[in-house]
Amino acid sequence: MQRLRFLLAAIPVAALTVAVPLVNRVEPRIFGVPFLLAWLALWVLATPAFLWTIGRMERRW
Amino acid sequence: MSPLISLGIVAAVSVATIVFALASTRRISMSPQDYIVGGRGFGAVFLWVLLSGEIYTSFTFLGAAGWAYGYGAPAFYIIAYGTVGFILSYFLAPWVWRYAKERGLLTAPDFFRARFGSTALSSFVAVLQCAAAVPYITLQLSGLQLFLTIGGYGAVDAQAGAAIGFVLLLTFIFITGLRGTAWASIIKDGLVIAALVFAGVALPIQFFGSPAKMFDQLLIAHPNMLTLDGYTSSRGMLWFISTVLLAGIGFFMGPHSIAAIYSAKDENVLRRNAVFLPVYQLVLMLVFIAGFSALLIVPGLTGPSVDQSFMLVVQRYYPAWVLGFVAAAGSLCALVPSTGLVLSSASIIAKNVFGDLFGVAEHPAARLWLTRAMVLVIGLLALGLWLTYKKTLVDLLLIYYNGVAQLAPAFFLGCFWKRTTTLGVTVGLVAGVAVSLGLAAAVAAGVISSPLGINAGFDGLAVNTACVIAVSLLKKEQEPAPASS
Repeated sequence: MQRLRFLLAAIPVAALTVAVPLVNRVEPRIFGVPFLLAWLALWVLATPAFLWTIGRMERRW
Repeated sequence: MSPLISLGIVAAVSVATIVFALASTRRISMSPQDYIVGGRGFGAVFLWVLLSGEIYTSFTFLGAAGWAYGYGAPAFYIIAYGTVGFILSYFLAPWVWRYAKERGLLTAPDFFRARFGSTALSSFVAVLQCAAAVPYITLQLSGLQLFLTIGGYGAVDAQAGAAIGFVLLLTFIFITGLRGTAWASIIKDGLVIAALVFAGVALPIQFFGSPAKMFDQLLIAHPNMLTLDGYTSSRGMLWFISTVLLAGIGFFMGPHSIAAIYSAKDENVLRRNAVFLPVYQLVLMLVFIAGFSALLIVPGLTGPSVDQSFMLVVQRYYPAWVLGFVAAAGSLCALVPSTGLVLSSASIIAKNVFGDLFGVAEHPAARLWLTRAMVLVIGLLALGLWLTYKKTLVDLLLIYYNGVAQLAPAFFLGCFWKRTTTLGVTVGLVAGVAVSLGLAAAVAAGVISSPLGINAGFDGLAVNTACVIAVSLLKKEQEPAPASS
């Protein structure tokens, strides 16, 4: 349970940092936005879902 | 006529914001508890406003657009680090809040004094945080200066702009407190979002047809600009990763951010904020688009002047009232966050250095005067730095993060690792600051290029963490002997 929570938190952190060399390109463009920028923006958008899930697992809400 | 219209709007909006902040705080007694941590009663919405108010500054407005204009993809670190910061804060902030609440702590150095029992250490932390605050305030002053200079169509020169900005800033700080800041943030955020939708949506549609078409043109003109260049080059991929981590870890380490944590009503308010505030970072997409549009419309700016890019587009192609509102939104972006930071920096010096270490100004009235004097000192230091050190806004922000992030190992390990010792934290802090400052200075002077392209602050952070752990482990080995005998 504890491990799973930290893993859930680590996923977006990894996506925004160490995954960057893997997504460092322009194509495919998402709605015209170059891939690197679109990738970062999508993970920023997805992060609340991860943190909210962690909160549910801790029964905070 | 045009400068009168645009600067008139800036003046009117600034005065209206001060009046609004005053009207909403008048009935609250101004004890230190109220002035600094808002009476510890901020709910989710209010804290959201306060935190977002302190996070989205004139740096977001000009600096992010400026780096998009000048460097391209390296600027994207700005959209990533806040999110990393919020993820860390989900775990750290509730712990810090509970610890502070139980002991009635008011400032960030108070935490060090309570956790590690050393007034010398807490004073050092106070000085470090205050020193790091100076480039941050310089950043906001440069922002104000740009808004006034460009907003005034050159009628106000740079020196006059900085001087007016300085006076405006001190007026704002002396009149409003932390609670006033939170109310002022409401006006600020409304104006900023309007200005950014204009800059990131309306502007590219008008000039290029759509934001996507703007990217098409940008890729033709600058095909390599939207990806990072290699692993170890300056502002390459390792730089990007280390900077996101450094700034993410430093995100909640400023004196104002810690004060904002203390001001929460309960722990879950902090968790909810951590869940939802990352969404606010998406606003930065609009800022990048504005910066890239500016590169296509007004090319040719270099060095620190890239920060002016987006404002110059507005000045050249839009009527004075549009420029006035954009400059007003930007000025509030500089004034509101500076208030929180300067107030908390001044109060930690008054309390943790003069009060705790030297035992002077312990009476509340004397403390308040000392805090005000320190506000003036910090303002003057920031103005001095503005005069002598011409760098982009992003460079100024990174100096701030290099400094405050060094507190993170002490906070994280102090919270979650019982064996952390006072000596370990002290050695770690000194080593971390020395390494990051030394490396950054050597790189800036051109003596060396930064090793592997990694941000110097991150190297300092790694050395700092290693020192805290190593020195703390040493202590444990010696401790059981006298205890058992």
